[in-house]
Amino acid sequence: MKKILIANRGEIAVRIIRACRELGVSPVAVYSECDRTALHVRYADEAYAIGPSAPRESYLRLEALIDAARKSGADGVHPGYGFLAENEHFAAAVRDAGLTFIGPTPEAIGTMGSKTAARTAARRAGVPVVPGTEDPLAPDATASEIAAAADAIGYPLLVKAVAGGGGKGMRTVTEAADLAGAVRAARSEAGAAFGDAAVYLERRLTRPRHIEVQLLGDVHGTVLPFVERECSIQRRHQKVVEETPSLAVSPAVRSAMAAAAASVASAVGYTNAGTIEFLLDEDGRFYFLEMNTRLQVEHPITEMVTGIDLVRWQIRIARGERLDLDPERLLRPHGHAIECRIYAEDPDNNFLPSPGRIQQLRVPAGPGIRDDSGATAGLDVPIFYDPMISKLVAWAEDRPLALARMRRALGEYLVTGIKTTVPFFSWLLAQPDFQAGRFHTTYLDEVLKARNGRPFVEPSPAVEEIAAIAAALEAVMSPSTLAADAPAAHAERPNARRWRAHARAEGLR
Amino acid sequence: MQYEVEVGGRRLQVVVTRSGDEFTVAVDGHPSRVDAARIDGHTLSLIVANGSAVDGQRLASREVSVAPDPISGQLAVHVGATAVTVTLNGRRRWGRKDDGAGTGSGPQRLVAPMPGKVVRVLVKAGDQVTARQPVVVVEAMKMENELRAGRGGTVAEILAREGMSVDAGALLLVIQ
Repeated sequence: MKKILIANRGEIAVRIIRACRELGVSPVAVYSECDRTALHVRYADEAYAIGPSAPRESYLRLEALIDAARKSGADGVHPGYGFLAENEHFAAAVRDAGLTFIGPTPEAIGTMGSKTAARTAARRAGVPVVPGTEDPLAPDATASEIAAAADAIGYPLLVKAVAGGGGKGMRTVTEAADLAGAVRAARSEAGAAFGDAAVYLERRLTRPRHIEVQLLGDVHGTVLPFVERECSIQRRHQKVVEETPSLAVSPAVRSAMAAAAASVASAVGYTNAGTIEFLLDEDGRFYFLEMNTRLQVEHPITEMVTGIDLVRWQIRIARGERLDLDPERLLRPHGHAIECRIYAEDPDNNFLPSPGRIQQLRVPAGPGIRDDSGATAGLDVPIFYDPMISKLVAWAEDRPLALARMRRALGEYLVTGIKTTVPFFSWLLAQPDFQAGRFHTTYLDEVLKARNGRPFVEPSPAVEEIAAIAAALEAVMSPSTLAADAPAAHAERPNARRWRAHARAEGLR
Repeated sequence: MQYEVEVGGRRLQVVVTRSGDEFTVAVDGHPSRVDAARIDGHTLSLIVANGSAVDGQRLASREVSVAPDPISGQLAVHVGATAVTVTLNGRRRWGRKDDGAGTGSGPQRLVAPMPGKVVRVLVKAGDQVTARQPVVVVEAMKMENELRAGRGGTVAEILAREGMSVDAGALLLVIQ
C-alpha cells in the first residue's frame, strides 16, 4: 500500500495522515466546500473536492469518495470514525473498486454494526447482554406495540439507533408517557446521522460503568485484546473523558473481559481495529453492550499506556501483515492515561454549540501531553459537523500524576474566538468524586443538573481586576481593535441575552 | 482616560495615564504601574507592579487578550486561559450588528440559540403551550436540540419553517 485516501476530515484525518507519513505512505485528503482550508487538506499530498458542506452532499457520498480514490490512484481507503466508517456498503464499494478498505470486512461491519445482530452474536459466543428487544422496532409499529415492547423490558429504558454510535439517535425514557416522543426523536436523529432510522429498546442498568476493550485482529485469525478503557464520564450518552486503566476493574475482571471480547470478535471472524463495549455493574458483573467496528475517538489513551500505534497497525493489518505483538504486554498498562474531548461548545450556556472563527489557539505541550487536533487559529469551526476540535491526552506514571498533568495542560490551553469545554474539564478534574474514581455513566448528568448552570470557572476578584485593566489598556492603546467591529447604533439587543438566560434556566432539550 | 468597567457584577472606575513607556492604571483609586507589551492584534503581555509601597517589589506577569464577543456584544477578555466577560463604559454592543429584533418586554420571543436547521415545528399559531413544552427542534452540529417555551401562553406568530436554515439569534416564534 503506497497511497491512502482518508475518507474523513478534521482531527482524525490529521491523525491518520501522521500514521501514513511514518509508514512512508502518501496521504490523500478529501474536503467539502467549507473545509477547503482545513488542516487535513494542508497536510496531505493530494486533495480532492467532494461537494458542498452538508455531510450528505460530501463526506457521506460513497461515489464521490470512490471517484476521488480512483483519480488519485490510491490503493487503500481509511474511513476514520463517524461518517461512513461503519457503513458496510462503503466498505463493499471500496473492495469492489479493487481498493483495500482499512477496517473490517463489509460482512463483519454488517453483523456487528447492527446493534441487534451484534447482541445475538454475543449471546451465541456465551457473553451476557443487557436485556432488550431482540429485533429492531418495525418502522410501521403502532404506538401500542412499541409500548407493549417497552413494558416487557421495564423502565427506565433506552431507545437506541440500530446503526448508532457516539450517543446519537439515543434517548432515555423513564416513563411510558415520554416513549413515543423519544422513539420519534431517536429515529429522526438516527436517520439524519446514519441514513438508517431503525431503533430498538434496551433496559437501562442502574449506575453502571461503561468499560470497553480495544481489539486488533489480523487476516490470519489472530485476535488480540488490550487493557480496558474507562468511559463512564458521559454527557447525554456522549463520552467526554476516558482513561485507562479503570479503577473499577480488578486483574480478574480484566482477563475475563478481555477473553469475552476476543471470543465475540473471533466468532464473527473480525479483522482490523474494533472495540467491544461492556457495562459493568456495581457487583463486578459485565454485559456486552455493542461493538464499534472502527477506530475509536479515545484510541490515544490505549496507545499511551501500551506504546502501540493503533492506526499504524490498522494499515499493517490491511496489508496482510501478522499481528506479532506480545499478548501479555497489551494487558499490562504502563502508567495511566486520560483524555479530554475538547469541544467547540459553551459549557456555561448548557453546552450549546459554539461554531465560528478561532482567533487564537495555543495548545499545551511538555512532558506526557498529546494534543490530537485539526484546529488552527484563523480556521472556522463549521456548523455542519461534530463540534470536537481536539483530543487532549495526558500520560503519567500513575492516575494522580496523570490528573495533575491534565490539569496543568488545561491551564495552558488558550482558545479565543469560540467557546470550548476547557473550563468544564478544569472543574471536573477538581471534583473529589472524580478524583476518587467514584462515578458511573449518569454521574456527570446528575452533577451537572445539580449545579443548575453555575459557571465552571469563577474568576477571582484579582483576575477580574486584571481583565478590567486589560480592557481599559486596549481601549487606550488600540481603540480600533475594539471599535472596528462596533455597530453604528448601540441599541440594546435583548434577544441575544434573553435566549441565553432562557437556555440557562430551562435547558435546551 | 477614564473608563467605567463592569466585571463580575462589579462596576470599577479605571483611570489610565501614560508615563513614559509604561502606564499607571488606577482601579477604584488603587494605582498600579503596568508595562504592556503587544504580542499580536488581540494579545498583550502585562507586567503589573502594585502601587502600594509594601507590595511594590512584586511584579505579576499576566498574558491577556481582548476581543469583542460577537454573541454577547461584550468584551471577551482572557487572563491566561481564564475567560472573563467585561463591559466597557456600559457599551454592551461591541462587534454586533443590531438585527432590529425589537424590545424584550411583553411577548416571549423564542430565538435560535445557534446557527442550524429547523428540523420540526411542534406547534401551530394559536396553540396553547405550557412552560417547558418543546416547540421547535433545531439541528446543529449533528445533534437535535429541542427548544422549549420559557413560560406558558398562546403561540402568536411562527417564523420558523421546517428545513429552514437559521442564524444565531434568528426569531423562530412568538408566544403571547
